[in-house]
Amino acid sequence: MNAYELIVSILYSIDVYDLLLDAFRSAGMEYALRVIIVLVELAVLFGFVLITVMFLTWMERKVVAMVQSRYGPMVTGPRGLLQPVMDGIKLIGKEDIIPAGADRWIFTLAPFVVFVAALLVFIPLPFGYSLIISDLKVGLLYIIAISAVSPVAILLAGWASNNKYSLMGAMRAVAQDISYTIPLALAAIAVVVFTGSLSTVDIVNAQSGTLFGIIPKWFIFITPLGFILFLIASIAEMGRIPFDFQESEQELVAGFFTEYSGMKFAMFFLAEYAHLFAVSGIVVTLFFGGWTGPVLGNIPVQITSLIYFLIKTYAVIFFAMWLRDTVPRVRIDQLLNLGWKIMVPLALLNLLFAGFVVTAGVI
Amino acid sequence: MAWISKKWTMIGIIQGLIVTLKHVLQIGNRPTVTVQYPYERMKVSPRFRGKHAVDEDACIGCGICEVNCPNGTITIVKYNTRWFPQFDLGMCLFCGLCVDVCPMNALKMTGDYELADYTRESLIYGPEKLLFKKEVNK
Repeated sequence: MNAYELIVSILYSIDVYDLLLDAFRSAGMEYALRVIIVLVELAVLFGFVLITVMFLTWMERKVVAMVQSRYGPMVTGPRGLLQPVMDGIKLIGKEDIIPAGADRWIFTLAPFVVFVAALLVFIPLPFGYSLIISDLKVGLLYIIAISAVSPVAILLAGWASNNKYSLMGAMRAVAQDISYTIPLALAAIAVVVFTGSLSTVDIVNAQSGTLFGIIPKWFIFITPLGFILFLIASIAEMGRIPFDFQESEQELVAGFFTEYSGMKFAMFFLAEYAHLFAVSGIVVTLFFGGWTGPVLGNIPVQITSLIYFLIKTYAVIFFAMWLRDTVPRVRIDQLLNLGWKIMVPLALLNLLFAGFVVTAGVI
Repeated sequence: MAWISKKWTMIGIIQGLIVTLKHVLQIGNRPTVTVQYPYERMKVSPRFRGKHAVDEDACIGCGICEVNCPNGTITIVKYNTRWFPQFDLGMCLFCGLCVDVCPMNALKMTGDYELADYTRESLIYGPEKLLFKKEVNK
């Protein structure tokens, strides 16, 4: 069951669906109803994601402020909660500058590609029981493939800016993304070995139940090494602080979006936090049992599962922000050494372990 | 074996994470140290060097402060038939030399630090803004 069928069943339960279907059928446009329902679910998903992402910027500032014994944004709205709205209004009002030597078409295209790629990752992500746009058979492969689009757009942005800092930041981002996609995918494949399916819903369903009757059967308890590898690799892929070479402020001004301003800058910024939200959701889906959790009385399972998913996701997001405030940036050679010399062999070892466990029939 | 414990157990990172978590949860003596500036202010120290003030009864308009000012901030102007210093705070570096050299102890510096303004002209503080009268002890 996916979100489309959920909407249809809700419409059916309030006796509207048949009326709508008859109305559209009499006009000979039965497909239009399907298209409208799909558009509605996409609008709900992207609206939810964008609002979440806006408030993630607020959360990041608050967490940094708390670590540094400050208040953070406090004035706009209660506890500064409307600060991202004001930031958005400010960015819309700014002048959209395109540098004189820039490649105008690519320069304009790049932020859109990054933004769309960041949003498309959410399509096969299960937010809750049946709260998924499309349960793709190759969901995990789709997620990894779509994540691999953003380094291309980052390279486009860095190249088109006609600025040495942008280009250097983009080169670093691509080098980093390529070297960390491999351990990321290998750590995810270990999970696939356990479940025997690339579908995110199957992966979540495989994690329901308990191990030895006490601890939940989440993959973090089965392959803790795989979890640590996936977390480090995904933080590196996001380009957050221990590995933020693409925009290391002290060296490269702002990395690949040095030359961007106004709404284009806002799109890069939103895409960065959308990526954070998506990756946290994927970590939860793969290693923390997704939306599974104890059933609570007669509350619909869609609502409780969404709440469980969001609690777990925000815990992972908080961990990423917490890590960002704690550790300094590593050097670029240390980063690549860590990626190729340590993470890839360990990920292969983890894969071997997964194969051994499955073949031995422990799970 | 030391390199194994340091590199592979990530002890340093975990210790750092514990410290930052203590800050987030405000465990121990870790209060929020900044203030919400326009709504609440920190107390300035008593010898803070802010905007100047001129004692109306003590100042004799001698011009020694004008001579000693390293930036040429001070000019002596006529005000109500007497001579008083006028400060161009856009030039002032708040060194306090004028206060030190004043033979009548007529100059002092207040704790007023909110001196930002929109034009350079409005930063010129004449006697009408600086004069104060000391309370006479009887």
